[in-house]
Amino acid sequence: MSSMPDAIVKQDAKYLADNARRRKRFSLWFYFLCVAIALISVVILIFLMASIWSQGHSRLSSDLLTRSHSELEIERSGMWPSILGSLFVCGTCAVVALPLGVGTAVFLEEFQPTNKLLRWIHGFVQLNISNLAGVPSIVYGLLGLTVFVYMFNVFGQIRVNESAGMEIMGYKHFYQVLTLEPGHVVFVPQSDPTKRQTTFDEPFQAVDPDGNSIEISIWTPGTPKPSDPAIRRQTVRAGAIGGTITERSWYYFRLPFDKSFLSAGLTLALVILPIIIISSQESLRGVPSSLREASMGLGATTWQTVRDVCLPAALPGIMTGAILAMGRAIGEAAPILVVMGAAVAKSTGPKHLMDDAVTMPVLIFNWAGRQQDEFKELSAAAIIVLLVVLLLLNSTAIYIRHHVQKAQS
Amino acid sequence: MSSVTPAIDSEQNSDALPDQTLIHIEKLNAWYGDFQAIHDLSLDIPKHKVTAFIGPSGCGKSTLLKWINRMNDVVPGARAKGRLAITGDASNDHVEIDVLDPGLDVVGLRRKVGIVFQKPNPFPKSIYDNVAFGPRLHMKTSKSELDELVEWSLQKAAVWDEVKDRLHGPALGLSGGQQQRLCIARAIAVGPEVLLMDEPCSALDPSSTLAIEDLIFELRTQYTIVIVTHNMQQASRCSDKTAFFFEGRLIEAGPTEQVFTRPQQKQTDDYVRGKFG
Repeated sequence: MSSMPDAIVKQDAKYLADNARRRKRFSLWFYFLCVAIALISVVILIFLMASIWSQGHSRLSSDLLTRSHSELEIERSGMWPSILGSLFVCGTCAVVALPLGVGTAVFLEEFQPTNKLLRWIHGFVQLNISNLAGVPSIVYGLLGLTVFVYMFNVFGQIRVNESAGMEIMGYKHFYQVLTLEPGHVVFVPQSDPTKRQTTFDEPFQAVDPDGNSIEISIWTPGTPKPSDPAIRRQTVRAGAIGGTITERSWYYFRLPFDKSFLSAGLTLALVILPIIIISSQESLRGVPSSLREASMGLGATTWQTVRDVCLPAALPGIMTGAILAMGRAIGEAAPILVVMGAAVAKSTGPKHLMDDAVTMPVLIFNWAGRQQDEFKELSAAAIIVLLVVLLLLNSTAIYIRHHVQKAQS
Repeated sequence: MSSVTPAIDSEQNSDALPDQTLIHIEKLNAWYGDFQAIHDLSLDIPKHKVTAFIGPSGCGKSTLLKWINRMNDVVPGARAKGRLAITGDASNDHVEIDVLDPGLDVVGLRRKVGIVFQKPNPFPKSIYDNVAFGPRLHMKTSKSELDELVEWSLQKAAVWDEVKDRLHGPALGLSGGQQQRLCIARAIAVGPEVLLMDEPCSALDPSSTLAIEDLIFELRTQYTIVIVTHNMQQASRCSDKTAFFFEGRLIEAGPTEQVFTRPQQKQTDDYVRGKFG
C-alpha cells in the first residue's frame, strides 16, 4: 500500500472540528434565512387579505350576491350576473383548453415520431408552446378579438339593427307590430331575412305573446275604432310598420362570435393552453417508462397504453396544472376587457351562446375605479367573493384529485 | 418445493427427447444508432425448455431478448438485420412468424411472446386489474371467465394463495417477490407461447429469487422460457440450455451442464468460473 497523500495526512483535529462547527453554523443561518423569506410572502398575503377584509366586509350582504350593478341604488348593487358570467366564461375555457391541452401533451410526449419531417414539426410545436407560455395576456386578448370576435370579417360584420353576421341555428326572426290595444304587440314570422322592416295593409296571420296563432284584421283610420279590448288586440292600423325582433334559443349560433362570452372563453383558453400543455407534459414525463414497457409488452397499442396506463398515472399532476390554470383564467381581466368590453350594466347571466357577459374581474376593475365610496367598498367585497369562488373551485378539484390518487394506489 | 433436485432429474429426461426449435436466429446483426450491439449471431432456442443468456454487461444478451418480441421498437435508433423467426408448431399449421418483418403485427407477436422485466413493474392498479389488463386488451370475456382466468394465472404464477384475499387491493402493496410473480401472472394471462425474462430476480432477495426459480422450472412444461441472468448459479440451477455472449457475439451455446462443466471455449470457461464479468 502506498503512503497517504499529504492533503489527508496534514489535517489536525482542531482545524477539522472548527471547520465542522463553522459549516453547521452557516447551515443554521441559511435555514433561518429560508424561513424568513417564506414568512415575508405569508405576511404580505395576510396584510393584503386584512386590508381587503376591512374595506369590504361591511358590504358582504345577500344583495351583493343576488342583485346586479345599479347606478341608481349604488348601495344595493350586486354581482350575481358577474358570478354567472365568470362561471360561464371559465366553463367554456375549461371545456376547450383541457382536452386540447392534454391531447397536445400526449402527442408531444407519447407519440414521438421517427419520420424526419414529423420530428421537425414536433420540435417546432414544442418550441412555440414554450414561448407562448410567456406572452402577456393582453396580446391574447387582441388575438381573440381578431379571430373570435371579428373572424377577420369574412362572415360579415355585426351591427346593431343592421347585420347579424352569418346566423347558423337557434334563431327565429319576427316582425313586431303594435295592435290597437296600447302596449300589446303581435309577431309575424319574417320571410325575407334581408328586409328589416315591413308595412301591413291587408289582414294577416300572427302570433300573440302567449304563442297562439291568431288572425289579425286591419283598421283604417276614419272608420269606427273597435272598443272591445279582445278585438282591439287582434286589429292593427292600416300601414302599421313592423320592425325585426329575434327570438334566440340557448344554442343560438352565428359567425363571427362578436362580443360574446364564447369569444371570451375561447380567448382565455388560448391564455391557459400553454400552462396546461406544459404541466401535463411534465406529469406524463413523470410516469415511469417501466409502466409503458409493461403495457407494450402485453401487446397494448400506443393508444391503449396512453389511455389505460399513462393518463391514469399522470392524472393527479395534470389536475394540479389544470387547477393552477383555471385559477389564472378566473382572475384574468385584460383579455376579457379587450374581447367583451368594460360594460357592467348587464343584469343577467348569458342567455345564449352568443350573449355577452360581465365577469368578476371586469366588475371589480370597474367598481374600483369609481368616485363613489360605496363602489370602492363594493369592489373590496367583490374581491372577497372572487377569492371564495376560487377557493371553492380549487378545493373541489383537489378533493377529486385526492380521490383519484386514492383509487390508484 | 425444492428447485434443485427435480431440475436435474427432468433435465436428463428431456435430454432424451430431441429438441424442437421454436425460435430460430440466423446471422442477426443489431444496432443502436451507429453502435453495433449484436454481430452475426445464430442460435436456436428449443421449445418448452429454459434457455439462459449469460455474459458480462453490455454483451448484447438483453438486446437480443428484446428483439424477440420487438420491445426495441420503442428505442430510437434501434434496428436489426438478419433472420429471427418463431417457427410454428403442428397445431398451428406451421405458421412461421418473421419477427423482423417491418409490417408484422407487433401487437399479435407480443401476445405470443410475453416479457417480464428486471424490476417488478406492476401497474398502480389493483392486483386483479393488473392480471386482467392483457386479457381485456386481446380477448372478449365475460366477468366469470375473466375471474377464472385471473385465478388461473395467479395460481400458475404461484402467488394466488398470498393474494386471493386482497385481489382488489393495490398491487404496489405487495412485496418485491410477490410483485414479480404478479408480473409473471400478468404475462401468462394473455396465453403466450414464449416468456422472455430480463434478469427477473436481480432486484429481489434470495428467498424471493428461489420462489421465482421454482416457478420458472414449473412453467417450462407449458412455455418456452428465455431468461437473461447475471447469476451463474441461477443459470445452472434452472436452465436447460445456456448461451454465453461476449461483446455482441455468441461465444458458446449448448446444454447447460456442458457449458458449465466442460466449456468448449476458453472465454466461457473463464466467465463461468468467475475470472471476469
